[in-house]
Amino acid sequence: MGQTITLTVNGVRRSVEVEDGERLIDVLRERLGLTGTKRGCDDGSCGACVVVVDGKAERSCLFLAAKADGREVRTIEGMADGRALHPVQEAMIEAGAVQCGYCIPGIVMELDALFSRQPDAPDEAIVEALARHLCRCTGYEAILEGARLARRKLAERRPA
Amino acid sequence: MEFTYIGKNVPRPDAVAKATGKVRFLDDLRLPGMLHAAFLRPTHAHAKILSIDTAEAERMPGVVKVVTGRDIRFRYGENIKDRLPLAVGKVRWIGEPVAAVIAETVREARAAVGKIVARYEPLPVYVDARDAMKEDAVLIHEESGTFEHLPGMEAVPGTNIAGRYTLRKGDVDEGFRRAEVVVEGEFNYPFGSSGAIEPHGAVALFHEDGTIEIWSSSICPFIVREDVAHVYGLPASAVRVHIPEVGGCFGYKSDVTIEQTVAYVASFVPGRPVKWVATRQEDLLSTLIGHGMRTRIRIGARRDGTLTALRTTVIHSTGASKDTGIHVLIAATHNSTGAYEFPHCLLEGLSVYTNTPPVGAYRGYGHQESQFAVERMMDILARRLGMDPFALREKNYLGPGRTTSLGERLWESNGDVRKCAAVIREIVFSRPKAAAEDDRYYYGRGFAALMKSPKGAPFSSKSCYLKFNADGSVSINMGGAEVGQGLRTVVRQVAAEALRIPPERIAVYTEIDTQFSPWEWQTIGSMFTIQGGRSVIRAAEKAIAMMKRTAAQVLRVDEDRLVYDGEHIFLNHDPSVRVAVAKLARGYMYDDGVTVGEVVHATSDTRLPRQSNPDACGQGTMGITYTFGAQACELRIEKATGRVIIDHLASCFDVGRVINPRQIRGQVTGGAMMAIGATLYEELRFRPDGTAVNPHFRKYGFPTVREMPGRWTVEFVETPEHIGPYGARGIGEHPVIGVAPAILNAIHDAIGVEFYEIPVTPEKIKKALEEKGKN
Ligand code: FES
Ligand code: FES
Repeated sequence: MGQTITLTVNGVRRSVEVEDGERLIDVLRERLGLTGTKRGCDDGSCGACVVVVDGKAERSCLFLAAKADGREVRTIEGMADGRALHPVQEAMIEAGAVQCGYCIPGIVMELDALFSRQPDAPDEAIVEALARHLCRCTGYEAILEGARLARRKLAERRPA
Repeated sequence: MEFTYIGKNVPRPDAVAKATGKVRFLDDLRLPGMLHAAFLRPTHAHAKILSIDTAEAERMPGVVKVVTGRDIRFRYGENIKDRLPLAVGKVRWIGEPVAAVIAETVREARAAVGKIVARYEPLPVYVDARDAMKEDAVLIHEESGTFEHLPGMEAVPGTNIAGRYTLRKGDVDEGFRRAEVVVEGEFNYPFGSSGAIEPHGAVALFHEDGTIEIWSSSICPFIVREDVAHVYGLPASAVRVHIPEVGGCFGYKSDVTIEQTVAYVASFVPGRPVKWVATRQEDLLSTLIGHGMRTRIRIGARRDGTLTALRTTVIHSTGASKDTGIHVLIAATHNSTGAYEFPHCLLEGLSVYTNTPPVGAYRGYGHQESQFAVERMMDILARRLGMDPFALREKNYLGPGRTTSLGERLWESNGDVRKCAAVIREIVFSRPKAAAEDDRYYYGRGFAALMKSPKGAPFSSKSCYLKFNADGSVSINMGGAEVGQGLRTVVRQVAAEALRIPPERIAVYTEIDTQFSPWEWQTIGSMFTIQGGRSVIRAAEKAIAMMKRTAAQVLRVDEDRLVYDGEHIFLNHDPSVRVAVAKLARGYMYDDGVTVGEVVHATSDTRLPRQSNPDACGQGTMGITYTFGAQACELRIEKATGRVIIDHLASCFDVGRVINPRQIRGQVTGGAMMAIGATLYEELRFRPDGTAVNPHFRKYGFPTVREMPGRWTVEFVETPEHIGPYGARGIGEHPVIGVAPAILNAIHDAIGVEFYEIPVTPEKIKKALEEKGKN
């Protein structure tokens, strides 16, 4: 019946009681108040809930909370530093990819994981990553454009 | 006309808050003492409820209350009161709420729902209007015909026909007598979901002082307020409705959808807020769905291509309630002419109760369903006449001086379909097709023209409250729901232009709260830019006039000698005699502190001028502002699989004036993508027993980035609209309208097969190809 897990969320160590079968999305949203992670389907098909766990994009609605024990989780709240936006966020805005914005946190986290692993990810890798996300607003053109722009921005900022 | 801010890519005021995950959607609300609701849904789509045993559920941990429909004594609805907050006595569709559990947590509420035992006596189920209309069909609403309704919304008692709309223009028999060629067909636009990524949700709180507070992912806070106030016998002012950020609407978050249900449940636990957020399955089956329309169409023409008559019958499987579907049907029916003038029309719409979720608004509001039919028929007719399909269309396009089915004579300011068609034709059809086929693919191209008129209400208005701050910056508050379409940007840009101050100095409202927000009917029909934008200009002009009044006093001249430029008000022949706007915002204060003049704030509203209800012929000024456009696609069909690949989707609309190029492009690509989904992949399917086949994204067919066209063309014609701000008209819904016929016309071009129904899946294409091979 339940257990205590300890995980690092956006750089801060947190201990939380979780119930059996509880998912990471509920730990983040309900227990830690990090509501930037969105729920669109709860069955792994929309991508709105994607967060980064140990560098990998994971659907937090499927991810068992117990499995997050001892791991490092990054959410949309950990992307901007309070003043400056993360380049992926900037790129999404500049490309006009933000309409209702409900899909955006998941997409930003997906791309953060992708570009952290593969800074010069080719277009096919970008499309593959984005194909895990549903967006009803944009028709995807601006999102794809935003992802390419993010790749460019990140490359410009890398020390040569 | 030279603009400073209109036509520029002014940034969205809400983009940063959205990109950082900081905006609050309904599900992000946390109120002190908040409880959670979960609902029992039926196991049958049509059945008598024999009993509901809640005893065990009540004993479950965390459970505060279990509620059934047993004591419900009211019905609700905006057009016809045929809706119930919870099932009473019988269930009529598979997503209907039967009982609710209120508990301390969502988990506890859901666990307890599993312990409710409901027993049913099944009744025959009708998922298609054609079956529900049969003479011996069992009635879905036994009391149909007795429900309170607005004029013109009569049902046919003793049948499942929930309503009809008939439009007569000229004499259709005469029109067919004059015809030399007649073509006909029947087209089906099946059920689908608006499918916003944010599901519906609401919170309701019955305060101890008798007032009610509601939060909802809705676009019609004022309608929700009035509807709830009416049911609970309260003045509208005692109900307060908040709209947090809305994560996409596309139609189905308009009208009252779930609020009465959540409110009824919350009324059992006064003093505590009750929250409910739909699961994806509930969002697809228990809120509002789209379409369910079958269009029978018959067109008469002379051999030279002149259209003489149009006869359409639109049969609508409206679901278990017609309240939210009836206007969709009316719009589908009178817009079934598409962008063409027919001198003689008989257009009929039949709204039929079925055991499916209620149909409500879906981006396009009836236009795509019936124009799918007419645009497919134009190609078919052209083939029958041996005529070029563009020439056939050219001959019959609506335009200045021509008359719509509604009897409205069009002006030049209603826009130019010919120009739109010419743009698309040049881009897509000016070269011959590269190839008809190769080893792997068949290639095709298809075209469709389109027309959109808003579907509003004569009284519908959008209001604006604009105030100048002490430093000359401006804050604007309105009741229009931002759902992603970008209306906050439009407000900011139009205000900047009208007030001649930089957009950064204009703050636009972020939430709607009926306690503070100026009234708006609801944010539908692609009408915000036109009406809301006009309201902003009106409020700006009033505010400027107020400042001039004060400045006239201060500068001791007549008001009409004064000029306003955003920073100062000055004497028209000597700009050095001036007073700063910032000094006028709260009245003008002289050096000794004495202050004169008004605090600068203004209210305004805009409705569509002279909008009427339909007359006895079904006609009237019901369009008022029209938008025309044209769409086309180039596609490939993979021989091995039957898969359709859209290589190019081209759209051109006469939007009057582009306010924000980046935003409007996003509206077009987003809308066209939704329609590509509907045309090739999406369908909400029901078994004959009314249970749902695919109520989740995985099986629903929601398109991803992989299904995006290889190329997008998005073009605009700008014939200024006479009502819209700086000539602008609406665009939100239009991009969905021409996509299905353009794609199906292209499929015919590729493989010579006529499809009359969407979605055209690879299986259907393979089957058609095999059959063709046999013949
Ligand atoms: S909420 Fe997790 S994938 Fe949709
Ligand atoms: S921006 Fe609305 S779902 Fe993607």
